[in-house]
Amino acid sequence: MAQLRGMLTYQDVEVWRHTKVIQWTLQIVSSILVVALVAWFFTNIVNAVQDREIPHGFGFLDRAYQTPIGHHFLPYESSDSYGYAVVVATVNTIVVSVVGVILATALGIFIGVARLSSNWLVAKLAMVYIEFFRNVPLLIQLFFWFYIILTLPPVRESYVIGGGLYIHNGGLSMPFPQAAGLGPSLAWALLAAGSLIAGWGVYQFLTARETRTGQSSYPVLAGLSVAILLGAVAWIVVSLAAGDSPYYISSPEPQGRFGRIVDGFTAPAGLVGLLVGLVTYTASFIAEIVRAGIQSVSRGQIEASRALGLSGMETLRQVTFPQALRVIIPPLISQYLNLTKNSSLAGAIGYSDLTNVAKTMTQLAPAVSIYMLLMAAYLAMSLTYSLIGNLYNQRMRYIGR
Amino acid sequence: MAAAYPHPNPPPEGEGTVGRPPTQGDGGSALPPPRTEVGAIGWLRANLFNSGFNTVLTVISLAITVAALWFGLKWVFIGADWTVIGVLGGQLVIGQYNVESSCAGQNCFWRPQVALLLFTVLLGMAWGMSGNAVARRLGIGAAVIMALFAFLPYSFERMGMDVRLLLAANIPALLLGWAIARYTGMSGRAIVIYGVAGFLVSLLLMRGLPGIPGLQPVSTLHWGGLTLNLLLAVVGISLSLPIGIALALGRRSNLPVIKLLCVIFIEAFRGVPLITLLFMSQVLVPLAFPEDFETNSLFRAAVVITLFSSAYMAENIRGGLQALHPGQVEAARALGLPVWQTTLFISLPQAIRNVIPAIVGQFIALFKDTTLVYIIGVLDILEYGRAFIQGNTEYLADIHELFIFLAVVFWVFCYTMSYVSQKVEEHLGVGRR
Repeated sequence: MAQLRGMLTYQDVEVWRHTKVIQWTLQIVSSILVVALVAWFFTNIVNAVQDREIPHGFGFLDRAYQTPIGHHFLPYESSDSYGYAVVVATVNTIVVSVVGVILATALGIFIGVARLSSNWLVAKLAMVYIEFFRNVPLLIQLFFWFYIILTLPPVRESYVIGGGLYIHNGGLSMPFPQAAGLGPSLAWALLAAGSLIAGWGVYQFLTARETRTGQSSYPVLAGLSVAILLGAVAWIVVSLAAGDSPYYISSPEPQGRFGRIVDGFTAPAGLVGLLVGLVTYTASFIAEIVRAGIQSVSRGQIEASRALGLSGMETLRQVTFPQALRVIIPPLISQYLNLTKNSSLAGAIGYSDLTNVAKTMTQLAPAVSIYMLLMAAYLAMSLTYSLIGNLYNQRMRYIGR
Repeated sequence: MAAAYPHPNPPPEGEGTVGRPPTQGDGGSALPPPRTEVGAIGWLRANLFNSGFNTVLTVISLAITVAALWFGLKWVFIGADWTVIGVLGGQLVIGQYNVESSCAGQNCFWRPQVALLLFTVLLGMAWGMSGNAVARRLGIGAAVIMALFAFLPYSFERMGMDVRLLLAANIPALLLGWAIARYTGMSGRAIVIYGVAGFLVSLLLMRGLPGIPGLQPVSTLHWGGLTLNLLLAVVGISLSLPIGIALALGRRSNLPVIKLLCVIFIEAFRGVPLITLLFMSQVLVPLAFPEDFETNSLFRAAVVITLFSSAYMAENIRGGLQALHPGQVEAARALGLPVWQTTLFISLPQAIRNVIPAIVGQFIALFKDTTLVYIIGVLDILEYGRAFIQGNTEYLADIHELFIFLAVVFWVFCYTMSYVSQKVEEHLGVGRR
C-alpha cells in the first residue's frame, strides 16, 4: 500500500505538476482573488459612505418611522420605530407566504390530480390551466387581478355572498373571529391546543394498535372527535367562568353614506390581488410537480391495490400519494420558497410587504443597512423552509430493509 | 358461441356484416365490437362517461368550458376595445427608442429592425446547418410572423414604407441564412461565432456610435419594449448556462475552498428575491465601485438577472450530475481520460441531457423575470404599456385588454420554448432507455 501510494502521488515529478500542489495553488489563488475583490468593494463602499456623508449604521432603528403602512396584521402607529415597522412588514410577508402556500398547495394538488384524470375533458381543462398560468409572467397576472378588483363596484354596491362576504373595489371583507377579552380567549386557546394534542395522541395510539393487531378503529375519526369534544367542553367551561364566550365572530357591516365597512376583516385590494395571483400562478407549478410525482409511482402498485379491492380514491390516498410524496416534497418546498420570494412583487400593486416598506424606508434611512436587513430577513425565511423540507425528507426517506 | 353468450348489442342485420366474412356454423365468434365501444360514441363512453362520478365531472367541466368560452369570446369580440393595442403599436416593441428626445432629428427605427434581420439570418443559418425540423419550424415561424407585421393596417404616416420593407425583408433574410449555411457547409462552431458577432453588432446598432451620421448614440435608458425583454433574456440565457455549469461543477468539486465559495454564491442568490437584488444593484453596486467607474443601470440589471438565473441553473445541473451513474465517470477515468475530458465529454453531456426540461424551465422563468426591470426605471413592454395608459387616462378602462394582449405575447414565447424543449427531448430519446 505504501508503495502504491508512493506511485500514485508522483514522488518523482516536478513540484508544479504535482496534483495536490496544483489543487491547493488553485484554491489559494481563487480565495485570495475573492477576498481581495470583496475587500475592494467593501473599502469602496466605506469610502463612498464617508466621503459623500451617506448615513449609515443601525441607529435609525430606534427612531420613529413617521410613515403610515398601508395594511398591517400587527397593530401599528406612525409613531412606532423603524425597527418595529420592519417587524410589521415582515409579518405581512410571512402571512402572505403562509396563506398563499396553503391555498396554492390545495389548488395545485386538485389541478394536478385533475390533469391525470381518466376523464378526457377534465384532464384537458387542467392542462389548459397549467399551460396558461405558468407561461405568463407573474407581474402581468398580478396587475390583471389587481385592476379587476379596482373595477368592481364600490363598497355600497358590493357583491354579497352568503350574507357575510363582501366583494368590492376596496378588496374583500369577511367575517373574522375576534377575541372577547385577553384572559378568557387566551385560556380557551391554550385549552384548545391541549385538546388538539389529546386528539393527536388518540390518533397515534389507535394507529399503532391498528398496525399491531390489524383491527381498524377509525383513528382519524376518533382523534378528531376527541379533539372537537374536548374543545367544545373547554368552550362551555370558559364561557361559564367568564360569563361570556371567549371569541365571537365579527361580521363586516357596511356603514355610512360613503360606504365604509367596519368590523370583520377587510383584505385590501392589493392583498387580494397578490394572493389570487400568487396562488393561481404557483398552483400551476405545483400541479405539474404533483403530476410528475403521481406518475413516478409504478403502475403495478396501482394495479395491485385495485386488484386487492381498493377503490380509486382509496388507491390514490393510501397507495399512490404516500409514495408520490417522496418525489413531490423537495420541488414543492422550492415552490414554497418561490412563492415567498415572489410575494416581493407586492409593491407593484401597492401592497405593503417587506420589500415595499424597505424601499420606502430607503428614502429617509441608510439604504445599505436596510438592504442588509432585507437580505437577512429573506434568507431566514428561505432557510426555514429549507429546514422544514430537509427534516421531512429525512423522515420520509426509504428505510432500507 | 354466439347463442351461448348473446351479444348485449347485436349489430342490425345486413349492414353490420359488410366488411367481414359471413359467419357460418356455430357463429365463428367473429362478431364486430359493439357499436358503443368503437368510434366516437365508444370514445365518449370510455373517456367521459365511464362511471357515474365521471359523468358528473364531465357535465360540470363541460358547463365550465362552455361558460368560459361564451363569456371569453363575447368579451374578446364584443366587449373588449382593442384600440389601445393599435395606438401603442410598434412602440410596444421598441418602447421610447424612436421618440424625439432619445433619437433627435432622425428616424432610428431601422436600427432595431436591422438587428432583428441579423437574428433572422442566424435562425436561417441554424436551420440550414442542422436541417432539423424544429429549427425549420422555428425559423419559418419567426420570419413569417415578423413579415406579417408589415401588413398592419396603419396609415403610411404612422408606419412608413421603409419600415414595412424592413419587416418584410425577414423572409429573404431567413432564406439567405439558410442558403449560406447550406452551400458553405457551415459547422456548429461557426454558427456560435456568428451568433456572438451578430449579437455584438446588434448591440452596437442599438447603442450607436458617436460621430457617425445615422448612428447617433441612444442612451440605454431609452431602450425599451419587447426588444429590451428579448435582449435581457438572450444575454441571460446565453451567459447563465455556462456560469451555472461552472458553479455546479464547483459545488461538486472536492476542493473545499472552491466548494464553499460556490455554495455561498448559489445560496445567497437563491435565497433573495430578484426584485431585491435589482434594487441593490441600483443603490449598493454603484457605491462598490470607484466614483469615476462608469456603469449604467441597464448593464447592472443584466448582470444581476444573469447571476440570479445562473444560481438556479447551477442547482438544476447539479441535479443532473447527481443523477448520473458513478460508473460513467469511473469508466472514463479507467480509460485514461483526464478529469477535464471526463467532465467535458462524459459527465456534462449526460447530466445536461437529463435535466433539459429543468433548464428550459429556467430559461422561461428568466424571460418572464425580465418584466421585473420596471423597478430600475426602464420601460420594458409591460411597464411601457402601463405607463402609457397612466399618462393617457382615456384608455384606463382598456387596461385589461393590454394585460391580456401582453399575456398572450409572453405565452407564445414561453410556450414555444417549452414545446421546443419537448421536441429536443424526444429527439435525444431521454426517458426511452
